[in-house]
Amino acid sequence: MGTALELKNVTKVMKGKKIIDDVSFTVKSGEVFGFLGPNGAGKTTTIRMIAGLMKMTSGEIFICGKDREKEFEEALGHIGGIVENPEMYKYLTGYQNLKQYARMSKGVTKQKIDEVVEFVGLTNRIHEKVKTYSLGMRQRLGLAQSLLHDPDVMILDEPTNGLDPAGIREIRDHLRKLTREKGMSVIVSSHLLSEMEMMCDRIAIIQNGKLVNIQNVHDEAEAETAHRYFFEVESGYASILKEKGIEYQEVEKGIEMELEKDQVPNVIKMLIEHEVRIFEVKLISKSLEDRFLEITEKGGTTIA
Amino acid sequence: MHKLIVNEWTKIFKRAGTYVMIAMILLGVVAMGTLIKMTEEPDQAGDQWRDELSQQIKEDKKDLKDMPASAGDMKRFLEKDIAINQYRLDNEIAPPSETTGWSFIDESSALISFAGLFAIIIAAGIVASEFSTGTIKLLLIRPIRRYKILLSKYVTVVLFGLFMLAVLFISSAALGFGLFGTGDGNSVHLAYADGEVIEQSQMLHLVKIYLLSSIDVLMLVTLAFMISAVFRNNSLAIGISIFLLMMGGNVTSLIAAKYDWAKYILFANTNLMQYFNGTPVVEGMTLGFSIVMLCIYFILFMALAFGVFTKRDVAA
Ligand SMILES: Nc1ncnc2c1ncn2[C@@H]1O[C@H](COP(=O)(O)OP(=O)(O)O)[C@@H](O)[C@H]1O
Ligand SMILES: [Mg+2]
Repeated sequence: MGTALELKNVTKVMKGKKIIDDVSFTVKSGEVFGFLGPNGAGKTTTIRMIAGLMKMTSGEIFICGKDREKEFEEALGHIGGIVENPEMYKYLTGYQNLKQYARMSKGVTKQKIDEVVEFVGLTNRIHEKVKTYSLGMRQRLGLAQSLLHDPDVMILDEPTNGLDPAGIREIRDHLRKLTREKGMSVIVSSHLLSEMEMMCDRIAIIQNGKLVNIQNVHDEAEAETAHRYFFEVESGYASILKEKGIEYQEVEKGIEMELEKDQVPNVIKMLIEHEVRIFEVKLISKSLEDRFLEITEKGGTTIA
Repeated sequence: MHKLIVNEWTKIFKRAGTYVMIAMILLGVVAMGTLIKMTEEPDQAGDQWRDELSQQIKEDKKDLKDMPASAGDMKRFLEKDIAINQYRLDNEIAPPSETTGWSFIDESSALISFAGLFAIIIAAGIVASEFSTGTIKLLLIRPIRRYKILLSKYVTVVLFGLFMLAVLFISSAALGFGLFGTGDGNSVHLAYADGEVIEQSQMLHLVKIYLLSSIDVLMLVTLAFMISAVFRNNSLAIGISIFLLMMGGNVTSLIAAKYDWAKYILFANTNLMQYFNGTPVVEGMTLGFSIVMLCIYFILFMALAFGVFTKRDVAA
């Protein structure tokens, strides 16, 4: 897999305050990369710097290998996106808005316009004024607009903001289609973990302008074998577990250990044979959510 | 680049407000035509005009003598009248006894600042409104350098101003010739400059009037555009520019009556007509001086607009 986007030590100082602090990451071609963080963490600011709306204080950004600052026109040609809300000219029709945008890129044909309109499912309403569109429709028009010039990297800042579950699902399906069918890379930001988990391959967590963690969403699925189990037990387990070489941690009301699923009945049997009283056995799945909360709470703030 | 201009032009002409502006100019021309037609006095041609002019010259000379030295403007105006009337007597050129299509176009040039007003409104909104609606992001995340975006907007504003002038000129020509005819064919225009009277063709004179009268409008449009790009504030740009359009000239003449440095004020230089058809605001000013001053102001406005716009962080 190639690299679609690379940030190297990007820092942004605004009014003497470090808004973005030494952020580096890469996005591979064809993946959906999530940018997760509480409100005010610096997601939009980072995206604005990638899209060329803001200057970096220091650091470098490469888009498909082109330096965003030194090769501005080449680099930006690979990008499409919606920063914050999908703003449109409300007194123009959806189609006229697309034509405005088409004139700003080379080689966007009429067929291409029709194709993206079809793709986002706006064919019926495209000749109506944007004034009359719902937020979801504007979101779709924004998506259509950013697809006109076949970008390699798509940036969507909080694309699901204000959408109902059906709208969110729709966006998700579109993203999947784009990455699968066109090999596009997508960067989405959000402050909601649950939806990021559903649409992203990898998630970077940002807080107070610092990248705290990058996580594969499907870690858990891959690590099918080892799970963590909680046993509510009374005393008497120590000697037998030690004898069998099973590691455990003592927690409130019991113990926790890493076990493969197959081992669980054996361990229970063994404990019972040694007359350890078992009240409860429970799988502890540590979801991304827990990890996200853990990470962000450590940082001193909670998500809004 | 021309595609960007097409974009801007489309955005202007997809708004109802633009058609209201055009309608108001047409309405202004029609109102002026109607008013002149209604108050027009019956033709009192004949040879009387010589006696009338002699009488007028005598009165003007008497007024001129009685006038205090401080009334500079009024004095100059009388001097010009006397010279032109004398020229008419000497050369047997009768004054236009009635309104003609030509004179109507001339009079309707008073509506240029009205057309200018609309050009200013467009200039004030063309950058600021993109920021207030957030659409500036759409323009700036494309692989087009920012100066090109801004330049296309400025060119569009100037084209729009010319378009409004053309609307005014053509509509007043159509109405003027329709209502008043072309006159007796004696279509020379008498101009007065540096104490001398010169004959000019009407058409040339009118085009010159239109273009020269548009210089202050062009400068104010550029100022409005600059404020729009620097402060991203529509109302501020409109307010300052229209205030200056209305008051700039008057305030400058007030200052000019007392201080010489008034000649460095933008508005002392915007009226280039003063060098063709009158006397300068401050004595000793020349056409060359004014052109240099206008260029300096123009470059200043442009440097500010482009400097700020191309460097700014966009957080709209
Ligand atoms: N123009 C600005 N000047 C100063 N600080 C700003 C500006 N814009 C945003 N910030 C600050 O930058 C931080 C990050 O903002 P933002 O990138 O919008 O966060 P997010 O998109 O993750 O919610 C916030 O603390 C915000 O207050
Ligand atoms: Mg944000």
